[in-house]
Amino acid sequence: MADYVLEVKNVDKVYGQGDTEVYALRNLSFSVKRGEFMLIVGSSGSGKSTLLNMIGLLDRPTRGKVIIDGIDTSELNDNELSTFRNSKLGFIFQFSNLLSDLTVLENVTLPRKIQGTIQNSADEAKTLLKTVGLENQMHKFGNQISGGQAQRVAITRALIAKPAIVLADEPTGNLDSVSAETTVQLLKSLNRKLYQTFIIVTHDRHQFGEVDKVVTIKDGRILKEEMEANLV
Amino acid sequence: MDYRAQIGIRFITRRRGSLIAASLAVAIAILVVQVNSVIFQGLYDAIVRDQINYRFGHVYITRQEDFITKSDFMLVNWLERIPYVQAAAPRIDSAASINATIGGKIIRDYSVPVIGVDPVLDREASTMYQTVAPGGQYVSYRDSVVVGAIVDRDLGYPQVGDTIKLKFKDQFGQDILRRLTIVGITATAGSVGLDNSVIMNIDTLREILDRPHQTQSILVKLSDPTKDTDVKDLFLAAFPSNADKFKAQTIEESAEQTLSGFRSGIALINLVGYFGMMSSAFAVVTIQMMQVTSKTRDIGVMRAIGAKRKDVLLVFIFQGMVIGAIGAGLGTVMGVTYTAYAKETHMTFQGSLPLEVKYNWTSIMQTDIMAFVLAVIASIYPAYKATRLEPVEAMRVG
Repeated sequence: MADYVLEVKNVDKVYGQGDTEVYALRNLSFSVKRGEFMLIVGSSGSGKSTLLNMIGLLDRPTRGKVIIDGIDTSELNDNELSTFRNSKLGFIFQFSNLLSDLTVLENVTLPRKIQGTIQNSADEAKTLLKTVGLENQMHKFGNQISGGQAQRVAITRALIAKPAIVLADEPTGNLDSVSAETTVQLLKSLNRKLYQTFIIVTHDRHQFGEVDKVVTIKDGRILKEEMEANLV
Repeated sequence: MDYRAQIGIRFITRRRGSLIAASLAVAIAILVVQVNSVIFQGLYDAIVRDQINYRFGHVYITRQEDFITKSDFMLVNWLERIPYVQAAAPRIDSAASINATIGGKIIRDYSVPVIGVDPVLDREASTMYQTVAPGGQYVSYRDSVVVGAIVDRDLGYPQVGDTIKLKFKDQFGQDILRRLTIVGITATAGSVGLDNSVIMNIDTLREILDRPHQTQSILVKLSDPTKDTDVKDLFLAAFPSNADKFKAQTIEESAEQTLSGFRSGIALINLVGYFGMMSSAFAVVTIQMMQVTSKTRDIGVMRAIGAKRKDVLLVFIFQGMVIGAIGAGLGTVMGVTYTAYAKETHMTFQGSLPLEVKYNWTSIMQTDIMAFVLAVIASIYPAYKATRLEPVEAMRVG
């Protein structure tokens, strides 16, 4: 039996009611195995970010189920969803979204503080920051580092709580080409090194080169689902 | 440190403008309450002080509806044996008429209060002798008088050494005309009933009123004013006779008529101060709402990475606690500085009555705690609004 870390089953997301009803996502189903590096691609307005919000439990589907690590998340209340997001999911946003009033180190350890597992968290954060080459920036505030550096901090923040899945929404969308390439390589190396599942939303599929799986979304539907064997 | 406290503190301390504005709002509210307290409580205490020093002492002994016929010498000696009693002195209050010049017109038979005092004992039990202006002296020999500044003015400014004629009525209603020599002129700050009076030797007044050996009141000064009820009770227990019909009152009782009005006034002024405090709470609400707006994206991020609604609530409550603590600290410094200034400069009310300025630490603490609690309460609504933000919307809006 396959070790699925994520199963999306018949997910609809509908905005509005009656005549104004708009389907942002329509009957989406796919699954992701543990350790896979997966892309969700599509043009602007295709519904890929909406889908990421469903997978990230930041929004609820109108119909269907999102099962993460074998747990049907539609059954969870608001507090349980928060706890679940904290323990099972790591987020990397387009605009890094560091808390500018916290230092780099404090930003990275924040998920662990929320989790209440602060023991060794600073040491682990320092190790991770060293991995991404930011060991000398850890006492700077979030707004005192470059965009590329901030995105690398966001990656370590996403990893600190050892989540089942790391979700990234256009992680290179706000970076120059050099920083974007560095970020892509970093994500892929972490995927291999940590056997960490990554689901990345992007409009630039080619930037990521070889990946395990690509789901292409168009008008809220899956247009194409390609596995490793079919990918060039 | 709890991460919610850390974030709350950072949110507000790294927005100096918001922190200064919110803390100042709290501090100014405390300052208003403190200034009110210094002025109006100081005025109240000054009136109590003067009532004690000039008119009633800490315990005021009279005889119901009549003069005291027991020997004042005996009563004073008995009272002075009580350890808390510093001194006691007999007095007689009466009235006399003078021919005064008011506004350039001669007014005949203008009535003035007359206070008969014992020249020796009164100096121990009262500070009234200190109100005599330089160049004069307190009543000493039998036909000497000290006139109040207002009476002196109404008499056309007679000087020390001049004589004045006072017309009394004795206890049988007979007019008695007496010429007395001015030995001093009082200038009482605030005119607490003395600047419009005449002070004279009690024995002379007894003789004029035909009340030999009688006394109207005995004012008792205590070394420990908190024992006033004990002294009062001891005295009444020692002289329970129906024939004596003694009445003993603490200052709160004897000056009740004067003080009750002031107490209501102070309550009203305090209410104004507390309304000021409510205004500061509204300022805190506004600033906290601005904070929530400016931190919407951060709230979204926190929620996305697992913070619960109550965690967001606590962040802004901690922020309110920082505002409350800094505001209370600043308010205390400002309030205490003002109090020190008022004390050092011997601040007066309307340029006359010196305020009785005290460091009322209990009141300061109460005000601080109230301001702190209000700042926290004022943070609840903005904090609640922050918890209502959905992560996706918050990150999009921010």
